[in-house]
Amino acid sequence: MEFLTWLEQTELSLWLRESDWGHPIVLCFHAVGMGIVVGVSLMFSARVLGYSKDFPLAAFDKLFAIAWYGFAMNAVSGVLLYVGEPRRLLLTPAFFIKMILIVLAGLSVWVLTKALHGMESSPAAVGAGHRAEVVTTGAKIAAVFPILLWIGAIIAGRLIGYTIPPPPPP
Amino acid sequence: MTEAEILHWIRETSLGATVRQSRWLFATGETLHFIGLSLMVGSLLIVDLRLLGFIRKISIRSALKFLPFAIIGFLINLATGILFFAADPHMYWPNPAFKLKMALILLAGLNALVFTVAEQRHVLTLGDDESTGSFTKATAGLSLGLWLFVLLLGRLLPAFEGSTSFF
Repeated sequence: MEFLTWLEQTELSLWLRESDWGHPIVLCFHAVGMGIVVGVSLMFSARVLGYSKDFPLAAFDKLFAIAWYGFAMNAVSGVLLYVGEPRRLLLTPAFFIKMILIVLAGLSVWVLTKALHGMESSPAAVGAGHRAEVVTTGAKIAAVFPILLWIGAIIAGRLIGYTIPPPPPP
Repeated sequence: MTEAEILHWIRETSLGATVRQSRWLFATGETLHFIGLSLMVGSLLIVDLRLLGFIRKISIRSALKFLPFAIIGFLINLATGILFFAADPHMYWPNPAFKLKMALILLAGLNALVFTVAEQRHVLTLGDDESTGSFTKATAGLSLGLWLFVLLLGRLLPAFEGSTSFF
């Protein structure tokens, strides 16, 4: 707690909390990163669940490479948002719920890629000149979790703003 | 009706009153606005990056199949956006970030229309590894750029509350 009180008095924390532009600019990065990470993940789940079957799953490698930049952007902007209110954010359960949901969402995407790994192209489909890939039922079930967990993380994130108490006394 | 009367009328509609009185409607709307935004970003990344040639060896038809997600996302955000506006039209209307955001949405819509009318039929005939023309690439790049600015302006909107110009 002493550390957090110290952190709260650093120049960076003060700037993030009190300047005109610190907070809005960090929020901008946070929103763009969210759009990229959640957007790519939602499209990936849609594809695994059977949407646009001709779109090769391997094409998501490049999209996830971009999503990692989005994630890095949100890790950095998220840490900065925390530095701005280090004690205050700990006062709402929505903050902890959001952190847990993000970890779970990330894990669920990893599980989904594992569930798809080793998947073979259907010989019938290849023979017919299609590049359609066969997705197992297990992978389809795994594809539902990222959708629910990211939406949960967004809900929890929004709830932080509505449930956070006034700043604690110094 | 004058501008002030129109804004007042919007504010007094039952929609505006309902949003203001409800404890959760605005927050739920914001959450849906974020989900809609994510759907748009994900879908447009696939479509525009394929058209730009950043992701290749993919049939353009299969990439364009993701477009309905952008349309669904846009409709979610249009509906929730109307809800926000009705709750507090006097905050939004003079806000420079709001005005520019609306102008850029119109431009992005126009850009999408140009692509759909002038380019879509042609790009669908291209092979999986074929590159699109520079005109198509321009519309795809514009699409990503314009929507990025729309997103940023939306997020910056509250910071301009009470101002009537950017500077």
